[in-house]
Amino acid sequence: MTVFSRNVPEPTASAKAPARDKVDQPVPAAPDTYRAAAPTQGSPIMSSTQVSRVSVISKALKITGQLESTEDIQIEGEVEGDVRAVSVKVGGSAKVKGTVYGEQVELAGTVNGKIEAKKVVLTSTAHMSGDVIHQEIMIESGAFIDGHCRPEYGKTEGKAAPSVHKIVGTYREQAAPVAQRSEA
Amino acid sequence: MPILSRRAVSTAPPNHERVELPVSHLGKALTVRGILATDGELQVHGSVLGRINADRFVLAVDGYVEGDVLAREAEIGGRFTGRIFALTVALGSSAEITGRVFHHNVTVAKGAKIDGRMPWRPLNFFESLKQIPEAQS
Repeated sequence: MTVFSRNVPEPTASAKAPARDKVDQPVPAAPDTYRAAAPTQGSPIMSSTQVSRVSVISKALKITGQLESTEDIQIEGEVEGDVRAVSVKVGGSAKVKGTVYGEQVELAGTVNGKIEAKKVVLTSTAHMSGDVIHQEIMIESGAFIDGHCRPEYGKTEGKAAPSVHKIVGTYREQAAPVAQRSEA
Repeated sequence: MPILSRRAVSTAPPNHERVELPVSHLGKALTVRGILATDGELQVHGSVLGRINADRFVLAVDGYVEGDVLAREAEIGGRFTGRIFALTVALGSSAEITGRVFHHNVTVAKGAKIDGRMPWRPLNFFESLKQIPEAQS
């Protein structure tokens, strides 16, 4: 080794760092083989956390039970149970048996049960069996509904709607006496 | 490794099926209680309490699952409590597992926390499992 290093003094001097690298290399090389053994292990888990916040229930997925989210849900598969989220999209191939709660519900598939949301959109392919409780509703031609549509303000956690009503009420109460006074 | 790849090919004969695998993504904020069954991939970033039946199961770093999981392939990066039945299991460095991991092939990354047993099972075990997924104790 000493002979070798003497014979090639320039490389050793400059290659002290490379030599260390060579020592170091086997260490990362071992984890690399691990990664090769499980190539999908680290990357998709890490990356997919940052990709989308929307939950997607694919065509092939069937869920029996409850879903609760403080974000959005897109359903393309089958759900037997209640769904609660901010925005719920029920896709064309989707089937839901149960109640769908949300700020906004867009239905293109089938729901057997109830929809309770501020904003409800039934597209042309929608098939709705059950009641729709809404503040705002949009129904495209071709949509199927078997059930009641009834507007309900305040019940569907509509914070904006009831507070507006209260403000209007107080304005009227204040306005009326003023008018009476002016008349008198 | 060659054994693993051979088996992976044999258990999933058509390659295009892998490409077409419908991916279900359960977001961070989503909590599911109940039974989830899919022929495709299931990625859990939120929490699931119940039973999962999937071809490929991915538990992300932030994810939490309590219950039984039956899958061909399972990748665990988050917290898990319960039992896993999977042909191929990969436990990431951030995995925290309490319970049992029934496997045929397993990879455990450095840093994974495992509290429980990891019993090896022959291929027959998993083949019979797939026919009767629910009835296992």
